[in-house]
Amino acid sequence: MMSPTRLAGTLVPAMAFLSCLKPETWEPCVEVVPDITYQCMELNLYKIPDNIPSSTKNLDLSFNPLRHLGSHSFSSFPELQVLDLSRCEIQTIEDAAYQSLNHLSTLILTGNPIQSLALRAFSGLSSLQKLVAVETNLASLENFPIGHLKTLKEINVAHNHIHSLKLPEYFSNLTNLEHLDLSNNKIQNIYHKDLQVLHPISLINLSLDLSLNPIDFIQSGAFKDIRLHKLTLRSNFNSMNEMKTCIQGLAGLKVHQFVLGEFRNERNMEDFDISVLNGLCNLTIKEFRFACLYHDFSDATDLFNCLANVSTISLIHLNLDRLEGLPNNVRWQSLELVTCKLEQFPTLEIPSLKRFIFTAHKSGYTFAEFKLPSLEFLDLSRNGLNFKGCCSHTDFGTTKLEHLDLSFNAVITMSSNFLGLEQLKYLDFQHSHLKQTSDFPVFLSLKNLLYLDISYTNILVAFRGIFNGLSSLQTLKMAGNSFQGNLLPEIFTNLSHLTFLDLSECQLEHVSQEAFNSLLRLQLLNMSNNHLVSLDLCPYQHLKSLQVLDYSFNRIVTSKKQELLHLPSSLTFLNLTQNAFACTCEHQSFLQWVKDQRQHLVQVEQMVCATPLDMQEMSVLSFRNATCQMSKTIISVSVLSVLVVSFVVVLVYKFYFHLMLLAGCKKYGRGESTYDAFVIYSSQDEDWVRNELVKNLEEGVPPFKLCLHYRDFIPGVAIAANIIQEGFHKSRKVIVVVSQHFIQSRWCIFEYEIAQTWQFLSSHAGIIFIVLQKVEKSLLRQQVELYRLLSRNTYLEWEDSVLGRHIFWRRLRKALLDGKPWSPEGTADAECN
Amino acid sequence: MKGFTVALLAWTLISPCKGSSGSGSREAWPTHIACRDGGLEMLYQSCDPLQDFGFSVDQCSKHLKPNINIRFGIILREDIKELYLDLALFSKGSSVLNFSYPVCEESLPKFSFCGRRKGEQIYYAGPVNSPGFDIPEGKYQVLLELYTENRSTVACANATVICS
Repeated sequence: MMSPTRLAGTLVPAMAFLSCLKPETWEPCVEVVPDITYQCMELNLYKIPDNIPSSTKNLDLSFNPLRHLGSHSFSSFPELQVLDLSRCEIQTIEDAAYQSLNHLSTLILTGNPIQSLALRAFSGLSSLQKLVAVETNLASLENFPIGHLKTLKEINVAHNHIHSLKLPEYFSNLTNLEHLDLSNNKIQNIYHKDLQVLHPISLINLSLDLSLNPIDFIQSGAFKDIRLHKLTLRSNFNSMNEMKTCIQGLAGLKVHQFVLGEFRNERNMEDFDISVLNGLCNLTIKEFRFACLYHDFSDATDLFNCLANVSTISLIHLNLDRLEGLPNNVRWQSLELVTCKLEQFPTLEIPSLKRFIFTAHKSGYTFAEFKLPSLEFLDLSRNGLNFKGCCSHTDFGTTKLEHLDLSFNAVITMSSNFLGLEQLKYLDFQHSHLKQTSDFPVFLSLKNLLYLDISYTNILVAFRGIFNGLSSLQTLKMAGNSFQGNLLPEIFTNLSHLTFLDLSECQLEHVSQEAFNSLLRLQLLNMSNNHLVSLDLCPYQHLKSLQVLDYSFNRIVTSKKQELLHLPSSLTFLNLTQNAFACTCEHQSFLQWVKDQRQHLVQVEQMVCATPLDMQEMSVLSFRNATCQMSKTIISVSVLSVLVVSFVVVLVYKFYFHLMLLAGCKKYGRGESTYDAFVIYSSQDEDWVRNELVKNLEEGVPPFKLCLHYRDFIPGVAIAANIIQEGFHKSRKVIVVVSQHFIQSRWCIFEYEIAQTWQFLSSHAGIIFIVLQKVEKSLLRQQVELYRLLSRNTYLEWEDSVLGRHIFWRRLRKALLDGKPWSPEGTADAECN
Repeated sequence: MKGFTVALLAWTLISPCKGSSGSGSREAWPTHIACRDGGLEMLYQSCDPLQDFGFSVDQCSKHLKPNINIRFGIILREDIKELYLDLALFSKGSSVLNFSYPVCEESLPKFSFCGRRKGEQIYYAGPVNSPGFDIPEGKYQVLLELYTENRSTVACANATVICS
């Protein structure tokens, strides 16, 4: 029996092994374009995947350990045009490996350690134009079986072990060849016979790159009568002498472009002498490029001894000190100087020069006038140049200038409005510091200008005529400048041909309503990275051609409904991302507009709310109108309830005593009355009450107990409380003594009103009216209710005659007797203090 | 014995398997030392999920020379007709320097590796320009990224420079 520990000891490593065991992983390739392009890079594929459609045209199988390509490996992809097999560890390619790939135009085999390449490995590739076999252990072109690939235009066999430039016989078949890259190989010697094959055929379009080969010998005449489009020799020579003899060996070559030089990162020759280039006199060169030699050329004039007849000359990363005293006979049409460490700005006089490029010189030069009467193209960018008094034809000595690039320089002071430079079509000042642009219409003469870039030039636009004269301008880039008062004024009135306008990063806060009125052809407008708070589309309503409007990175919170009505009909892309939208119900109409226009809005999902806090960083689209309706309901309900509550409070306040009465009614109930009647009267009538009413009723038979305020009200209790508690609650009937004084007394009226409620609550006739004296009708009418009651109810009238009084008392007693319990003790007990 | 078994089991379940490539969560690349000399220590880690690379600086010193020699080796995943370098320097979490430099331009390749192909191995040993100044004492984070004209990453490194 195995112990559990030992069992675990065996199982665990087994599990570890199994879990790490590589299964034949099938990882799906990335479908870049369905049925056309598949990307299977680095998926650990051991064989060519069979789950890819046969219609595939572009297949990337790079970085998979395929190791071996058997014949007809790709027969299931007959439509292939581009096949990338970079770094597939391929060592063997068998015969007919690519058979049936009749449409393949590009085959990439970079980085495969090919050891066995069958003679017919590339058979069937009848359309192949580009073959990349960089870093494939290739030892010679002789054994490279590509002779039948007549359609080849480009062969790249760089970074291999090729020792000889011997172009095999089969090159005579490759009549379409344009590029042969043999750079970074091991070619040391070039002999006459090596290029023999190029003699009978004219591959005038062939570009040959031999850079990074350790060439130390070129047989004299090896390149004689050979025509090439381009020959590149960079970092080829170990010493000055080798270079000298090799250049002499190139004698007789006719080449369109010749590139000579070194690389920054490769070893440089120890010393260099201009005489090395004397051999160039025996070559016919159209364009000469000389790059990355860091030796000092104390006298540059000799450099050009053999280069007077070239048309284009490029000097890149050379330590030229000066460029004066050029031979008078130079016929250069184009001169390019890139990072040449000149001591001062070159003042050239070359009558034939049409193109002059002088860029990327670090020191802060000051511009000096030159005279180049044929100049059409001038690039002085990236020099930190100071330019006092730009620009007129006298500065450059030409009136033919069409292209002027002064970007990335230091301070450029505008003093002349391009007088004599009316031919200019392209003008670039970006990232230079422009001065005096607000004094006069600087561009007035440039009626042919199509392109103007004044981005980031520190202009504060204060002068409205700044763009006067630019009647043909199509593109205007003026990002990163500023405007007076941060308001965009009407400065574009003459630019009716403008199609592209960039106003980003201009600190704009407002846009004049008429700012863009004349830009009827404008297609793209960039207003991003400004400080605009509202999206007001009114200024854009006349832009009938506007397709793209960028309002991103502003501070837009919302927009009014009427401002959004003017969306130009041609607009297809409106970018409102990175703004400070307020997603509150207040701006509901704007948020709804965003939803309605979402097909025009760029990256609408990334439009996020800035406020309120609970919506921060959430999409504007996630704002729901329902939340607003909800809050509307809440608001109306709460307003209503407040109204109701206040109404109730007012009612309670107004009818407080009535309610007290009501509460009392419940409390005391019926039938417990202490008094027979509560007498309501004016204190002016007190005499009558005491002498007549009390006397007659309380001392008569049967005796009635009356509640009288002067006698029965409890001291220390509020009058109103006494009226209700003592008067009404404890009385069966109420006697109202109506008189002139009664109507004038507020207390009496109050008591009377309570009495009415009391009568209503007790739901039986309990009020007995005694009219003590005739009341004037007009006065009585003030008390409408009383008037109505008196006119509707029977009332007692105090008479002066004895008979009348007798009847009065009889009727009153009768009325009081109604509902009185006939118990004599009830009256005896009753106390009314 | 039991403890060992438990530990081994835990390791079996947790440890990722080398060699299983693909979209799964991958281990971070190891941290390498680019140089450690003269009071300066430079460590880096590749931040490109696809690959690690080799980099070293010859003779590093806190007195930064105008020309420092570096070595750099990588297998390219992209053609580099055009190559750009972005460098961001942070000290104590705040950005100190941002810098972008065109390493390879199609019209004028300065370096011999410019124009190399996807799948090709490049090895650069040579000088690079630097401003040339004394590095103040402290710990710095450097984010380096090399990318092509299509904005595809060629190499990416998170480096730490400790100057004492």
